[in-house]
Amino acid sequence: MRAVLFSWEYPPRIVGKLAEYVSILATDLVKSSVDTHIVTYHESLTGPSEEPSGAKVIRVTNPVRSHVSLITWVLTLNQEVERAAANVYYQNQKNVNVVDVYDWHFIAAAVTLKHALDIPFVYSVDSLEDHRSPGANAPFNMAIRGIEWLGFFEAAAVTAKSDWMKNEIMRVYNVPNEKITVLSPSASTWVKDVVHVYNSASGVAVK
Amino acid sequence: MKRPLNVMMFSWEFPPRVIGGISPHVYFLSKSLAKNDVKVHVVTCDFPGAPEHETIDGVEVYRVDSYKNPSPDFATWVYLMNMNMQKEAAAIAAKLSEPIDVFHAHDWLVATTGIGLKHVFRKPLLVTMHSTEIGRRDGLHTTTERMIHETEAWLTYEAWRVVCCSDYMVTHVKWAFGLPQDKLAMVPNGVNSHVYEGFGRHDLRDFRLKFALPHEKIVLYVGRLVYEKGIHILINAIPKVLAKADAKFVIVGSGYMQEQLSNIVKSMGLEHKVLFTGFVDEENLLKLQKVADVSVVPSLFEPFGIVALEAMAAKSPVVVSDTGGLGEIVQHDVTGFKAYPNNTDSLAWGIVKVLTDDGYARHLRENAYRVILERYDWDKIAQQTRGLYEAVLGEYSKSAWE
Repeated sequence: MRAVLFSWEYPPRIVGKLAEYVSILATDLVKSSVDTHIVTYHESLTGPSEEPSGAKVIRVTNPVRSHVSLITWVLTLNQEVERAAANVYYQNQKNVNVVDVYDWHFIAAAVTLKHALDIPFVYSVDSLEDHRSPGANAPFNMAIRGIEWLGFFEAAAVTAKSDWMKNEIMRVYNVPNEKITVLSPSASTWVKDVVHVYNSASGVAVK
Repeated sequence: MKRPLNVMMFSWEFPPRVIGGISPHVYFLSKSLAKNDVKVHVVTCDFPGAPEHETIDGVEVYRVDSYKNPSPDFATWVYLMNMNMQKEAAAIAAKLSEPIDVFHAHDWLVATTGIGLKHVFRKPLLVTMHSTEIGRRDGLHTTTERMIHETEAWLTYEAWRVVCCSDYMVTHVKWAFGLPQDKLAMVPNGVNSHVYEGFGRHDLRDFRLKFALPHEKIVLYVGRLVYEKGIHILINAIPKVLAKADAKFVIVGSGYMQEQLSNIVKSMGLEHKVLFTGFVDEENLLKLQKVADVSVVPSLFEPFGIVALEAMAAKSPVVVSDTGGLGEIVQHDVTGFKAYPNNTDSLAWGIVKVLTDDGYARHLRENAYRVILERYDWDKIAQQTRGLYEAVLGEYSKSAWE
């Protein structure tokens, strides 16, 4: 099993709780014999590296330095994420089983990789725009919701960290119950459950 | 057996969606490539009433959802539209029975689509730079302008070859993005002279009367009413022309300067000599170009100058400012009159010369039409473009990606 994780934060870049979560998960995935690659953003520490655990990290930065909003920044950065993931694919005999995307930032890259290279993706939800900016309906927020919607629509599987979040995803985006798996980080079977989601997602034919 | 080249082109506009010059360019280029044994798949933005997929003279045209939710601003819309276009283009390319050999993007408006597909399919990307932000704005003044400029720089960096439509643009693009000379290629823009063959000047007598009195010559301007097109220079030259020749000035196009320009005309007391038509449809535009006694292109910045080529193909004598691509298209006193840029006296002098010297006008008209057939024929341009594709693929076959 070869998995590529997309997260916009990963140590040493820590914005919220996600960086630590992805770091612990990657370490445990390697222990479970998953060839684990993390594609993340960093302003200066760009390029490939390997963690003591054996997880491989590729940090990319944005080739476009001036931006009018978070959306233009995210969408241009997606191209570098996509390029890094495509490199993993081509450097490993065109074999990546699954992409695991954390939150909305890198959904665009995952969607293109799915359609171009037949790599299914899991959309792992940490938070939703509806919670970050409740009730906001400016074009800026609508665009982010649109990207979240695209992620739910195109994903082979969706994961949430709690039953509450699962219900929220179903309420806000009408995602069917059976598409969402709750993965509780405190459960003893956590990593096994993650690998199980990866396995079932990679069995989902794209075409 | 060697199969034909398989090319995927990205353009934010393709007929019937027409916003500027890229739409006709991609339309004629792709059709002419198809005639020259290149299979072209055009991926473009959708348009009300136009089919999602159609085959036009051998060209496969795909129109994709161009993102219709409200966008914070135009530039953000461009990137959101590209997210959709890239997804659809990836799906189209992956399903083709023959793989795409070359991706070809037109301008920054499809930058991220081109860059993305290049890397996921590992095929070479060509870009045609029709214009640049730094040229359009005469510098970079806002965050939006800098963002677009940096996107253009990134696109040209990722491209295997950067195609420009004039020597002027080659020099400009090389300077703007710091590119090496051997990355650039010049392939001129084409013009379709056949569309003007349908009607002669005699058939258009009644049509002409809608715009000018029988004793008035027609001075035609076609273009957006914006600063870079230099329309204000022409407006200021009007009294100087009228002192020597009787003429009606027909101004076709719209833009943010329209109100300001008509106020100037009003203050000069020349409303009866100047007609602002706004946007006109294709057929009426062709007829106007056909009946014009002189076509004026007074641009301050002009990467190519397709409107001058169209006038030449319509056998209308041209007076242009000696700038950018215009200066290359027109040879002074041979195929047109070249005025000093941003100079009303020089522009007026040229217009008067063409309007009052019939022998000179005929000389320009005949030479210009011959050059159109020799240099700006779409079939020849398609062959040059195909040569570029083949050269790039030759280099690619020796690269680490192949």
